[in-house]
Amino acid sequence: MAGETNATVTSILGRSLAIEGEVNGEESLHVDGRLKGSLRLNGDLVVGPSGTVEAEIEVRDIFILGTVTGKVTARRRFEVQPSGRFQGEAAAGAYEIHPGAIFEGISRMLSSKKPTEKDASSPPKPSNRP
Amino acid sequence: MGLFSSKTKAGQNLPRKENRAGAETSLIGARISVQGKITGSGSLIVMGKIEGEIDLAGELVVSPPASLRGEIRAQAIAVAGAIEGQISVREKIHLEKTAAVSGEIHAGRISIADGAQLNGSVVMNRESGRKES
Repeated sequence: MAGETNATVTSILGRSLAIEGEVNGEESLHVDGRLKGSLRLNGDLVVGPSGTVEAEIEVRDIFILGTVTGKVTARRRFEVQPSGRFQGEAAAGAYEIHPGAIFEGISRMLSSKKPTEKDASSPPKPSNRP
Repeated sequence: MGLFSSKTKAGQNLPRKENRAGAETSLIGARISVQGKITGSGSLIVMGKIEGEIDLAGELVVSPPASLRGEIRAQAIAVAGAIEGQISVREKIHLEKTAAVSGEIHAGRISIADGAQLNGSVVMNRESGRKES
């Protein structure tokens, strides 16, 4: 399914695990448990059928099979499977909402302007240091 | 939740590492950092960085390049990475030779491999520790 990207490892939050706080990372994450707070990944987020995420989220792709509440930025793709439920504010490069899925809230397209505009790779700028 | 009922059936056929409820293993990879609180009843393998509190009913495995800082409670802990803080283990803790632990350990049983670093104090809980099985 998801996460079969070029990402190296996928971290897994099992069904019985709950994290409350701030999660940052450079890999993908699969959540079958609960996550509350904020999540920022270079990789993808998969929220499994039993997963519940209530957070401010910034990831590459998000695949929702469980429940997600909050503000989501998916740099590439935002997908809600039939079992999935999303409530909140979404911004993504592309959306796929399957029939049966629940999407409540606001969606916004990330404009496909040059990524160099973003913080991605700022060229070495000569700055006047004190 | 009726909403998920159709999916649940399909999901049960998927191979799971362990099928006892709450007994699965979670993994926090090397390039993940968590600031906050982690609680749960399964087991957890940490290779990343955690600052805060961990409270597990299962086993915690800290393998390199993991670094943990804070208050840790678990049924059992195997350490091969770095931990700084207060550790409380209901059963046993094992420090592998690559372990670097500083702080306070409360444990039923402890084993330390040659080469492990331990700076701090160890308090043994006699009642929970000595039972041989």
